[in-house]
Amino acid sequence: MDMLSNIALGLDTALTWQNLLYCFIGVFLGTLVGVIPGIGHLAAMSMLFPLTFYLDPTTALIMLAGIWYGSSYGGNTASILLNIPGSPANAVTCLDGYPMARQGRGGVALFMTTIASFIGGSIGIILLMMFAPVIASYALQFGSAEYFALMVLGLVAASTISDGSAVKGLAMVTLGIMFGCVGSDIYTGMPRFDFGQLELTDAINLVALAMGIFGVAEIIASVRRIKKGDIDPESVKLRAMKPTREDVKRSWGAMGRGSAIGSFFGTLPGTGPSVAAFMAYAVEKKSSKNPEEFGKGRIEGIMAPESANNAADQTSFIPTLSLGIPGSPTMALMLGALMIHGISPGPSLVAEQPSLFWGLIMSFWIGNLMLLVLNIPLIGVWVRMLMIPYHLLYPAVLMFICIGVYTVSNSAFDVWLVLFFGALGYVMRIFDWPGAPLLLGFVLGPLMEEHFRRAMLMSRGNFGTFIDRPISATVLAITAILLLWTMYSALSGRRKKRLSALVE
Amino acid sequence: MLSRDYRDIVGGALLIVVGLSFAGYAATHYPLGTIARMGPGMFPTCLGVILAIFGVLQAVPAFFRTGKMPEIRIWSPIFVLGGVAAFAALIFPFGLIPAIIALVVISSCAELKIYPVSLVISIVFLCVMSWLIFRVGLNVPIAMLRWPF
Repeated sequence: MDMLSNIALGLDTALTWQNLLYCFIGVFLGTLVGVIPGIGHLAAMSMLFPLTFYLDPTTALIMLAGIWYGSSYGGNTASILLNIPGSPANAVTCLDGYPMARQGRGGVALFMTTIASFIGGSIGIILLMMFAPVIASYALQFGSAEYFALMVLGLVAASTISDGSAVKGLAMVTLGIMFGCVGSDIYTGMPRFDFGQLELTDAINLVALAMGIFGVAEIIASVRRIKKGDIDPESVKLRAMKPTREDVKRSWGAMGRGSAIGSFFGTLPGTGPSVAAFMAYAVEKKSSKNPEEFGKGRIEGIMAPESANNAADQTSFIPTLSLGIPGSPTMALMLGALMIHGISPGPSLVAEQPSLFWGLIMSFWIGNLMLLVLNIPLIGVWVRMLMIPYHLLYPAVLMFICIGVYTVSNSAFDVWLVLFFGALGYVMRIFDWPGAPLLLGFVLGPLMEEHFRRAMLMSRGNFGTFIDRPISATVLAITAILLLWTMYSALSGRRKKRLSALVE
Repeated sequence: MLSRDYRDIVGGALLIVVGLSFAGYAATHYPLGTIARMGPGMFPTCLGVILAIFGVLQAVPAFFRTGKMPEIRIWSPIFVLGGVAAFAALIFPFGLIPAIIALVVISSCAELKIYPVSLVISIVFLCVMSWLIFRVGLNVPIAMLRWPF
C-alpha cells in the first residue's frame, strides 16, 4: 500500500504540464546529443544547467535526468550507422551494429535497440523504486565516519575500475578535491586560495569546471577530426525496420541478461553504463553457442549492451539519491544541481522531499515511454542530424557554453574560468589524465573534508574512529582490497590483456 | 616511439610540482590546527602531499618502459580558447551580439579553412536564436548591444 501511495504522489508531481514539458525537452535534447558524436551528455547537461536555475528543483532534475538517459537511446544511432559511438557507453554497439547496417539491416538494429533500451531502462527503474528508499532508511543512522568511508570508496572505485591507469585516476581525484578547497573554509569561514579574487571566495563554479573540462576540451580534440558519414537512407525507412521472428526470439535472453548486468554495474561507484555495456557484451559472447559470429552483425551483440547501459543509467541514481554519493560525473552534476537549489542530498531526501524523489522516479517512466514512442518514427530525423557538418556545429556549442556560464551569475569571470578549465582539460588529454574522477573529486571534496573534520573532532583526534565502527570499517576494508587488487593487476600487467581478451 | 615514456615522466613531474606548491601555499598561509581540531590549512596541505606522491608513482615506472609521442595540437586550442577569451572580454562592455560574432569567427578558424557564406549564415542564425532563447524566452537580464564609450 505504501508503495502505491508513493507512486500516486510521484505521478501527481510528474504529470503536471510543466514537468511533462521539461521531461520532453530533456529526453529530446538527450537523444539529439546522443545521436551527434562529439557532444557528450556531460557537456550537454552542463550547457543546460544554467537554464534549470529558473525552474523548480524537481523540474530541473527531471530535465537533466532526461538528457542523461535520453542520450543512451540516441547514442546507438551513430554507432550503428557510422561506426562512431555517439557516447562512450555505446562504443560496444559498434561491433555488431555497424556490420548489421552494412548488411542493410540498420533499420532493424535501430528499432530493436530502442526496444532494448526501453526494457533495460524499465528494469532499472523498478530496482531504483525498490532499493533506494530501503538504503536511505538504513543510511539515516550513518555518522560522519561512515560518510567519509563511503566517499573514499566511491572515489577510489571511480578512479581505479574505469579504464586507464589507476594512479592517474587517483591523482585526478586528488586534484579535483584540491579545486574543491577553493572558497571559504566551512568551519572558520576563512577564504582559501582566493588569490585576492572576490569571485573565488564563493568557490569555483561547478558549471564552469564541467563545461571547460568536458565541453571545450572535447571540441578542441574533435575539430578537424569528425567527418560526415554516408548513410544509405533506404535502410532506415520504417519498412526496413521490421525484425524477423528469429531476431525477436534471440533478443529476449540478451535483453534479460543485459538488463541484469547493467543494473548491477550501475549501482557500483565508478563503473556506470560504459563498463556495464562492455561486460554485457562480453558475457553474451562467452555464453553464446556461436561466439565466432559476434562482430559480424549478430543481434545479441547490440541488444545486450544497449539494455545494459540504459539499466545502468537508472540504477546509478540509487546511491546518488539514497546516500547523496554520486558514482559518476553525471551523477555529480545532478548532485550539484540539487545543492544549487538549496536541497541537501542524502538519505533524508527520500523522507523530507518525497514529492521530489518519487516525482523524479515517475518521470523516468514517462521519459522512457516518450523515448520509445519518439524514437521509432524520428529515426529518419536523427539520421539527417548526423549530416550536419561539424564546422557549423562546434561554434554553436561553444556559444551555448559561454552564454550558459555567463548567465549563471552574470559574470565574465566565470567565462574566464571556462577558458582555464578548457585549457586544463586539453592538457589532461595530452597526459592521458581522465576528467571524470576530477569532477567527482571536486563535488565530493568539500563534503569529504567536512565529514573528515567532524569525525576527527568527535573522536578527539583518534583515527581509530574509522575502524571502530563496523560499517565504516567494512567499507574501508573493501576500499583497501580494491586498491591492493589494482596494484597487483597493474604490476602483473594482466588487467589490460584480460580486458582486451574479453572483446576479442 | 620514444625510448622512455616521457609523457608520463613529464606528467608525473608536473603533478609533483603542483602538489608541493599547493601544500606549501596552504601550510604557510592558513593555520594548520591540530588533528582533533583541524584548521583551514590541514586538509589542503595533506592533499598537496598526496598529489605529489601520485606524481612520483606515475613518473618512476615510466623510466623503465618505452612510450608513444602524444599528438599535440597547437592551432585548435589557440582558436577555440581564443574564441572563449574574446567572448569573456566583450560580453560585459559590448553586449551579447558582438561577443557571439567574435566567438564564432575566431573559433571557426580552428578548422583552418574558412567557409565565408556558411559563417555569415550561422552567425545570423545563432544571434537570432540566442536572442529568442535567452532574452525573449527566459528573460535573462543580458544586454544584446552596448556602447561603453
